[in-house]
Amino acid sequence: MENGKVRVGFYALTSCYGCQLQFAMMDEIIQLLDKASIECWFMVERDSDEDREVDIAFIEGSISTEEEAELVKKIREKAKIVVAVGACATQGGVQSWGNDRKLEELWKTVYGDAKVKFQPKMAEPVENYIKVDYRLYGCPPEKKDFLYALGTFLVGSWPEDIDYPVCVECRLKGYPCVLIEKGEPCLGPITRAGCDARCPGYGIACIGCRGAIGYDVAWFDSLARVFREKGLTKEEILERMRIFNAHNPRLEEMIDKIFEEGE
Amino acid sequence: MRYVKLPKENTYMFLERLKDWGDLYAPVKISEKFYDFREVDDVRDVEFHYNRTIMPPKKFFFLPREKLFEFSISKAEYRETIEDVKPFVLFGLHACDIFGLKILDTVYLDEFPDKYYKVRREKGIIIGISCMPDEYCFCNLRETDFADDGFDLFLHELPDGWLVRVGTPVGHRIVDKNIKLFEEVTTEDICAFRSFENKREKAFKYHEDWGNLRYLLELEMEHPMWEEQANLCLACGNCNTTCPTCRCYEVRDVPNLDGDTGYRERRWDSCQLRSHGLVAGNHNFRPTKKDRFMNRYLCKNSYNETLGLSFCVGCGRCTYFCPAGISFVENLRRILGTKEPKCPPEISEEIPKRGFAYTADARGEDL
Repeated sequence: MENGKVRVGFYALTSCYGCQLQFAMMDEIIQLLDKASIECWFMVERDSDEDREVDIAFIEGSISTEEEAELVKKIREKAKIVVAVGACATQGGVQSWGNDRKLEELWKTVYGDAKVKFQPKMAEPVENYIKVDYRLYGCPPEKKDFLYALGTFLVGSWPEDIDYPVCVECRLKGYPCVLIEKGEPCLGPITRAGCDARCPGYGIACIGCRGAIGYDVAWFDSLARVFREKGLTKEEILERMRIFNAHNPRLEEMIDKIFEEGE
Repeated sequence: MRYVKLPKENTYMFLERLKDWGDLYAPVKISEKFYDFREVDDVRDVEFHYNRTIMPPKKFFFLPREKLFEFSISKAEYRETIEDVKPFVLFGLHACDIFGLKILDTVYLDEFPDKYYKVRREKGIIIGISCMPDEYCFCNLRETDFADDGFDLFLHELPDGWLVRVGTPVGHRIVDKNIKLFEEVTTEDICAFRSFENKREKAFKYHEDWGNLRYLLELEMEHPMWEEQANLCLACGNCNTTCPTCRCYEVRDVPNLDGDTGYRERRWDSCQLRSHGLVAGNHNFRPTKKDRFMNRYLCKNSYNETLGLSFCVGCGRCTYFCPAGISFVENLRRILGTKEPKCPPEISEEIPKRGFAYTADARGEDL
């Protein structure tokens, strides 16, 4: 803190910049100006500098270049609290979906023979390079999660992580269950809540943008068994669960287990 | 008790008149197969023959998510945010759901009244309706298939209308104010009522004694059913959130960006979630999915001393709304031995050690 103000930074790696846009457009951000100084946030502050020390660093995007790998290490050194923001920073994002293929192959598909001035890498979540203290999930993340986390930091406390599935909020909102009723491959049971089950609320099965619940309580195996009974193949199940969980270390082994045990 | 008859042709007029007593909520179809209690504008939307609503009526009294108070850290003050609740009419509760509310009352009103629950309970008028059980219903085994009280009016279906039981002074007033809509109960109506009740009794899938269930559950902790069924479980919490008697909640403080003020909120919790048993020091007294799975079975089948009933009212929601297709009833029947008799039971050599201190197979380093 400096002059009683909390120093905040918002940094972007490979991403669509949708996370910071989501937060930059919040009316509540005005309340923050009294309490915080924005040291680095190119979207909202002209006088931004990545080299300044901060109390809270928010990072969006996945690490997909050598330069970004260096940048996050620098941010970690200069920040007291590092918050990974959004599906890319927390889970590697949809760009990690193809991580079963070779970098060269992915590269050719997108850029062909074009030359670029950065050194590409396979997309990875921020926590694969530096210690992450807190996470804001979603694609894009929820404004209320941002307010909650920042507000809690500002009163000198620590925000709680979300460790329960979308299904809880889907019921709290009173929506019908698309998994039971329509047999849709809804990922609600393994996906972190916080979105108030927005997609199931529109009758659309969850694709898991907030990522699988941590603490080893995302039951990929049990859900795969349910999907198999509904006629999905192992490949279809894996494909769907990998969209936002490509880096989850438990996903494949848990699904393998189900298909090994047979019908 | 007072009994009157509501002729069929007056049903919609009666529903319309109920709106004089407050906002009217009743079961309506919300999707292809599901029903829920929703505010009713056109009384012709009301479903009289629904099986079960996805959300239990507790949602009107114990809100799914609720702000409890606002606070200021610098002033060391808090202000309770108890809503000024308008009177409302809840039409179409089945007997099991009325028992569900009675069970919640024993928790939230009797000893240490919950202000937020109480203020809503006082403003809600309850109108019950008879039902014909489907294959998921087992309220007969729970002795919650016929409500003696806990309602203002209870409507029993007759071929040409409804036999109405009047349960409270408010019920009397509703009838008296609309006396022209009602008739006297005839001998024929009584016959029709009896035959409906007879038919209903026979429609239940199981007729058996569950008297010693709670003891068997405690004794059969080593039964293979637990492991096997917990393995199927998604731990999504649907069984808890759709249950008419689940009453656990989680509390959270949400500070504003001014670094001083904020509010506290609560939301329905589920014992199938990791954090339900999580306590200081990162200990968890129900560290595995199986522990959490067992907890619900034991909690639902424990004894409510005030009512002399179990905490499960046999509505069938936890089975009907389980995405993994786990049958609460069939699992209980396995323990009871009605499904696959297993005697003498297999007891492992070792004395069962329970609790986080003994868990060898707890997974995950952050558990």
